Amino acid sequence: MLFGGIDVGSLTAQAVLLEDGELRASRNIRVLPNPVDSARAVWTTLLEQQGVDQGAVQCTVATGYGREKIEGSGLAQNNVSEISCHGMGAWSVIPGLRTLIDIGGQDAKVIRVGSAGQMVNFAMNDKCASGTGRFLEVMARSLQVELGELGPLSMKAREPVALSSRCSIFCETEVLHFRQRGVAAADIAAGVTRAMAERVAALARRVGLEADVSMSGGVAKNLAVRAELERLLGVRMVSCPVDPQVVGALGAARFASDQQARP
Amino acid sequence: MITLGCDVGSLFTKAVVLDDDSIAASRLIPTTGNATEDVERLVADLLVEAGLARDALDGEAVTGRGADLVQVAEHSEDTLTCVGWAVREYLENVELVIDVGGQSITSLLLDDAGEVVNFMRNDKCASGSGRFLDVMSAAVGVSLDRIDEVVAKAESPAPFSSQCGVFVESEVITHVNAGVKPADIVAGLCDAVARIVSSQARRFGQGKAYTLTGGVARIQAVVELIGQRLDGEYQPFPLDPQLTAAVGAALLASPE
Repeated sequence: MLFGGIDVGSLTAQAVLLEDGELRASRNIRVLPNPVDSARAVWTTLLEQQGVDQGAVQCTVATGYGREKIEGSGLAQNNVSEISCHGMGAWSVIPGLRTLIDIGGQDAKVIRVGSAGQMVNFAMNDKCASGTGRFLEVMARSLQVELGELGPLSMKAREPVALSSRCSIFCETEVLHFRQRGVAAADIAAGVTRAMAERVAALARRVGLEADVSMSGGVAKNLAVRAELERLLGVRMVSCPVDPQVVGALGAARFASDQQARP
Repeated sequence: MITLGCDVGSLFTKAVVLDDDSIAASRLIPTTGNATEDVERLVADLLVEAGLARDALDGEAVTGRGADLVQVAEHSEDTLTCVGWAVREYLENVELVIDVGGQSITSLLLDDAGEVVNFMRNDKCASGSGRFLDVMSAAVGVSLDRIDEVVAKAESPAPFSSQCGVFVESEVITHVNAGVKPADIVAGLCDAVARIVSSQARRFGQGKAYTLTGGVARIQAVVELIGQRLDGEYQPFPLDPQLTAAVGAALLASPE
């Protein structure tokens, strides 16, 4: 039995194929301007790569930006909110999971899930770039390093700088001033990591933490942010056994298989 | 009475020489990390322009967020006090002042004497501030001093759904890539600024006679769009609104 999940985010889109309850394959692409085009691109290339005919997939669920339109286009038979999908996707691979910290390209969510993977509470920031992947992108640009270098660089810091602003635009100016004063890039990167983690930790405290805690979304790949969050929140994160960027699509595929299981 | 006032703002440092209540000379330079030297040079240049010796001044005062760093002036004044004082000197009936500076938006309520009785300030977030417009004008390729000229050619202002400067910058780039005319993008941005500024002012002093100060008040398109959103009567500040705090400092520097 094959089931599908499609998750279109602000910067990337993912699709997964679930076979007999196991993750068979996943795919991750940069988004196109239109969410339906992104969904079609990621889903059809995944099916082609796996040599699977769309008709062989029992049910597919869409989530993320434009999920209703994706369902309407016929690519999916249903749609579920990204918060529920992230919670469900992560819980399905970490059975003890109760709190998921999902940091995407333009938002951050802290999702509490129950013992069956159902979403019970959440806090979200999608109004302000601060504390989202975009903050790290803007800071990497100011530091003139690749986004992927930011984490490793900040691990080499001796004396992290303190950023006094919350606003990404003001932080950008602060970073430039630190650079002009000759502060080591590693110390600035570590200050950026700390600022990022502080904002997400504040969001997490709003919903309250319950173990096990894990992370998803692109920023989960930044080990420095993850370590700083562990320190600020006083928890050990459980590593996500699948690519943390496909968790939303995986949750969507789980919902697809659950729906099919119902009478 | 000849006095000097200087305002070390977050983006620009301004200085004015007041001859009673008219501006004899004024200058503006970008604020750098070196406020003391900047102010000394600015004041020296200003006095040359005004044809005055420093000891001809009856008083001098400095204000602004960098004021603490400057050791040259006789005394320093709180920025909001300066803004309130300057507005009351020229506009008798204004109760609400909306100051949109380089990195802040502040609404001030004034009493009859020009004392600030209450204020609300956002300096945590660039949204709607001078810095916000600075970032956006760079993204769309229209300099700040050309905004009014460009907006005049707008046909249908581009929509903006975000408040955050970083997200709005992405929206600007999306509009540019979609081939939206720069005039329509800039008009949409002016509307976004007016929306952000007026939402603070409405919560704080709805219906009151108001004026606008700070650098953003120089942009007529923004002034008009704010006017459409506020009920109170608008009274323009009669001098360059970017110099308001410096003028207030100069007024407060008077020994009387």
